[in-house]
Amino acid sequence: MSRHSLGFGGPPPHPEATPPQAERPTVAHDPAYLSLRHAHRRFGVKATATAVGGFLLYVLLSSFTPGLMNRSLSGHLTLGLALGLGQFVLMAVIVWRYLVHLRTRVTPVVRGLRGLARHHEATGGGRGPAHPEPPAAPYDRGYRSW
Amino acid sequence: MVTTGAAVVDRFSLQLTLILFLSVVVVTLFTALLTAPQRDEIGEFYLGNRTMSPLRNGLAMCGDYLSAATLLGSTGLVALTGYDGLLYLCGTAVAWMMVLLLIAEPLRNAGRFTLGDTIALRLPRGQRPVRLALAVCTLAIATLYLVAQLVGSVALLTQFTGEPSATTRTLCVVVIGTIVIVYAAIGGMPGATFIQVVKAVMLISGVTVTAVMVLHRFDWNPDALLAAAADHSGEGTRFLEPGLRYGASATSKLDFFSLQLAIVLGLAALPHVMMRLLAPKQVAVLRTSVVWAMGLVSLVCLAAGVLGLGATAIVGRDAIAQTDRKGDAAVLLLAQDLGGGLLTALLSCLAFVTLLAVAAGLTLAAASSLAHDLYGEVIRKGQAKETEELAVARLSAAVIGVLGMLLALIAWGANTATLAFLAFAIAASALPPTLVYTLFWRHFTAQGALLSLCGGLLSSVLLVVFSPVVSSTPSSLYPSADFAWFPLQNPGLVSIPAGFLLGWLGSVLTRPEMPENYADFEVRTLVGIDET
Repeated sequence: MSRHSLGFGGPPPHPEATPPQAERPTVAHDPAYLSLRHAHRRFGVKATATAVGGFLLYVLLSSFTPGLMNRSLSGHLTLGLALGLGQFVLMAVIVWRYLVHLRTRVTPVVRGLRGLARHHEATGGGRGPAHPEPPAAPYDRGYRSW
Repeated sequence: MVTTGAAVVDRFSLQLTLILFLSVVVVTLFTALLTAPQRDEIGEFYLGNRTMSPLRNGLAMCGDYLSAATLLGSTGLVALTGYDGLLYLCGTAVAWMMVLLLIAEPLRNAGRFTLGDTIALRLPRGQRPVRLALAVCTLAIATLYLVAQLVGSVALLTQFTGEPSATTRTLCVVVIGTIVIVYAAIGGMPGATFIQVVKAVMLISGVTVTAVMVLHRFDWNPDALLAAAADHSGEGTRFLEPGLRYGASATSKLDFFSLQLAIVLGLAALPHVMMRLLAPKQVAVLRTSVVWAMGLVSLVCLAAGVLGLGATAIVGRDAIAQTDRKGDAAVLLLAQDLGGGLLTALLSCLAFVTLLAVAAGLTLAAASSLAHDLYGEVIRKGQAKETEELAVARLSAAVIGVLGMLLALIAWGANTATLAFLAFAIAASALPPTLVYTLFWRHFTAQGALLSLCGGLLSSVLLVVFSPVVSSTPSSLYPSADFAWFPLQNPGLVSIPAGFLLGWLGSVLTRPEMPENYADFEVRTLVGIDET
């Protein structure tokens, strides 16, 4: 996974610092949000394409180019078997990159945006969530060990 | 019970299995009763304890995700077909990547109790028909997969007693089905979670320990294991090369690709797996849980590969194929050889508990969809009281359980793997298009969702009806008839693109949704809210 050129790992945007919006202020027009959306979606598409596409390519290669996949690497370990193990390594690398991406690029921005959303709600401009959350009261009581 | 010639397991391990299985069932049933939601709140019934630690959540997810088909079926496939079987295991792990990267966090951020709630939030106009279609799809997938689990229990019983008589068979399905209904209807999600965690711990430890024993037998030398497997497979090095199962023709290669596509997209969209993702209150907890589940699923898949190869290397392919044509006996035969009656009993008990746990999760998911989407939102139009909806949920769990038992008794001779693959194909064709479009496509409309859900369901079912699964080959349901014009056994290659295409077509042809609607929804999926 290549690093993203869109840098927004800086401090979360301050609620006061956002440009005034046309009609109703929402997080959706915030520049930090827009670049977060772009980068997050790009990462998601790339990572999924690598993981799933890589696997489907491996299946197709196994089916249609057996000669290549049966090439022996050492002993009974063929290229095909090694690539199968490689899938697991690839998945581990993608998960690691994904966590790094979330930690450095997504979480700080999201934290700022949540503050911004609360600010909008408090000033009465933003629309509340379209779906009312279940009342919080039932969850307040202590849970049994499970 | 009468022991006949085909039984794998001796009398001692049969009794031990029974004792172990009964103790697990008794403990989990009591826990399910104790932790059952007592205040008639739908939130607790559908989602269970929302403050569990990430590890427990991850174990529960892993438990929901890995069925007995993985433990017995996939290892058997590895033992019989070598390389091609290993690809199944790889596909199982890759499918969880879809959940981790694309689905988990947006779904949790925008979801409430069911997938229908997420879609209703995104497409408020015309949400009722979509919920109805979604409930029908969920019911079809869950029932089919439930039948696969119950049929699997009969197949497992065959390993102990030989071909079971009609009475034994009925008794087995009814007992397992009844326990499942009690877990789902009375225990709700807290009960299902508990058995899921118990099962996951048993599965992971059992499979890992056995894999370690296999590797130890070969002095920790993977090459020796591969060499022994190839020697005892009767196929030589062909065993370690692709194509033993699906290499006959271009059609069968495409069939294999189609199956892998259905596994990668369908496993991730199974209703009970998606329901589990909605439980954690905090996004950070969900993230860690999903990563835990990824690690555990990969571990089990790798260990299952070792078990399959070990079964061929130690027991021999002919012995496995003679005991059970589909290879389901491979793990038990291996256990008998490695650890005697004790290990066999442990692994058989594990297989029964796995069946039970997955079946309970499925019943609960289908019941929630019926009660929340169909009854609560479509029939009562959101006016239903919580107690009322909960009663319907419990009742639906019982009805679905009974339906599953009846179907399993009719279809007991069917191949478990075929039923499970059919469920994956339907899940992959009907749900992912709607899910992906809902989460990521601005121009998706309710009509598109309706068309994609119904179209995906119908196209996959129709293609199966006109495929070699139902007619024209000796192993199909109606061997004497021949109306199979569709050459592939797995419809995914055609029906999954059809589902996506129909969703796109339906959305393009109809009036678009309000743009702010998607903007708000997207903010919610990305930024989310942590409930405190």
